[in-house]
Amino acid sequence: MALTLGRGDRKGATVTFEHASKYYGASPGPSPAVDDLSLQVEPGEVCVLVGPSGCGKTTSLKMVNRLVEPSSGRVLIDGTDVAAVDAVSLRRSVGYVIQQVGLFPHQTVAENVGTVPKLLGWPRARINARIDELMDLVGLDPDQMRNRYPAQLSGGERQRVGLARAMAAEPPVMLMDEPFAAVDPLVRERLQDELLRIQRQLGTTVLFVTHDINEALKMGTRVAVMEQGGHLAQYSPPAEILARPATEYVARFVGADRALKSLALRTLGQMDLEARRGSAEIQDQSISLGADQTVRDALSALLAAGRAEGPVFGSDGRFLGFFTLDALVKSFVREPESSGNST
Amino acid sequence: MNPGEPLIRWDWVWAHTSDIGQRVAEHCVLAGIAVLFGFLLAFGLAILIRQQPLTYEPITWVAGVIYTVPSLALFALLIPFTGLSLMTAEIGLIGYTQVILVRNIVSGLRSVAPDIREAAIGMGCTSQQLLWRVELPLALPIIVAGLRVTTVSTIGLTTVTALIGQGGLGFLILDGIQRFFSTPLLVGAFLSVLLAIGADLLLVFVERLSSPWKRAIV
Repeated sequence: MALTLGRGDRKGATVTFEHASKYYGASPGPSPAVDDLSLQVEPGEVCVLVGPSGCGKTTSLKMVNRLVEPSSGRVLIDGTDVAAVDAVSLRRSVGYVIQQVGLFPHQTVAENVGTVPKLLGWPRARINARIDELMDLVGLDPDQMRNRYPAQLSGGERQRVGLARAMAAEPPVMLMDEPFAAVDPLVRERLQDELLRIQRQLGTTVLFVTHDINEALKMGTRVAVMEQGGHLAQYSPPAEILARPATEYVARFVGADRALKSLALRTLGQMDLEARRGSAEIQDQSISLGADQTVRDALSALLAAGRAEGPVFGSDGRFLGFFTLDALVKSFVREPESSGNST
Repeated sequence: MNPGEPLIRWDWVWAHTSDIGQRVAEHCVLAGIAVLFGFLLAFGLAILIRQQPLTYEPITWVAGVIYTVPSLALFALLIPFTGLSLMTAEIGLIGYTQVILVRNIVSGLRSVAPDIREAAIGMGCTSQQLLWRVELPLALPIIVAGLRVTTVSTIGLTTVTALIGQGGLGFLILDGIQRFFSTPLLVGAFLSVLLAIGADLLLVFVERLSSPWKRAIV
């Protein structure tokens, strides 16, 4: 069966799990790796599968490119059962990034990036042009890096090459298995930001596995929290997971500080600001906040300055109003109604 | 050896240069055929083991048993079937190459890190593409290492084939022993060692050429 994934006016594909289960050994054994997983990832969304090790998140991910075949149930891409598609051509049309990157040590950066186009039999010139384009996209200078070998790269550079390699044939779906777990926190944060930028730019559907709840909340359009035994505990947007954990397990997994974590998901621009007037008052303030700052950073700035409020300015420098601790508290009181049935 | 005679009679050497040259050439052909076909056979067996891992034990067991048979006895055992022929010599020589070559090729292929293999399969490499584009290039240093040991030992072992009527440098050695004349014996032995060293260096060079990425460590 030929594969025509996501080649339309949009770039991302829909990924659907329908009662997908995976049992190893005696089936159905006492503890399945994935237990009756049903969820849908909409085109252009980032779905993060998060949970402790052994919760079946990686197994679920590998069902999409058939590195793992479900024992029962099925996985669909744009409505097509992946089991009905030739595994090799399926994998060439689904990007795949793993934690250890798995770059080919005997090939240069350019050769690594061009792997899938070469497998697909693209003409040489088109592959070369694509390699340059991708290296630019992931922030690697083609002139400098093209002919280096993986052993000559830093951890962060290797991840960038891995990302470029996975995106080479413009896959409508990308699978990423703890792609940033092995790099240091500063580099990880930069890579996360750049992945989100690229993902938004291209509109690719991404399935992203991590065990780090903070990474999940940051990256996910929606987050699938999984627990031991391959069971899906909750599948919701990050804000909702924090505001209304579905089970005791989810609440414990996101942590007792979930209210604080939710502060990082909102910017001051999304908050109710106190539109007090009077420029004298504004000049009196020793701090100033930006509308695109997260509430978390703003609160930190207030606490550091020992204040209960601060003026907020738009990116054009216009005064927008005051961010106050009172308003922050009130936003939590209203939260349950405002972000209701968003699943 | 006759008393009072020098170890090497250079006049004999100079008088027989073309004969010696011919023996060197024969030796290269005998050993070359053995290494070439030995490698092809071992490669085929290694690919079989890659597809059917259960065949690893029996194949390496047989190769190991062949290796333990003394060369003289092996050639003697083959003579009733294949006579004093080139075939007899090559069957023996090729048989001895398998124990090292099969193990080395298999462990070379298996040395490829699981994440590299997973990435390759995950990107849509077929089993053949995985083998030729990823596993073999990465296994090359280990395979060449096995090839070096095999080549050196085969060049040494080829001298024994003179006993079953084959030429090569073994002919000079045998000639020296039979006539109690040390000169051809030493010339044959020395040239055999020299050939082995030369072949080894050549393979080192081949290995370096074929894995530029190994030296590209900052």
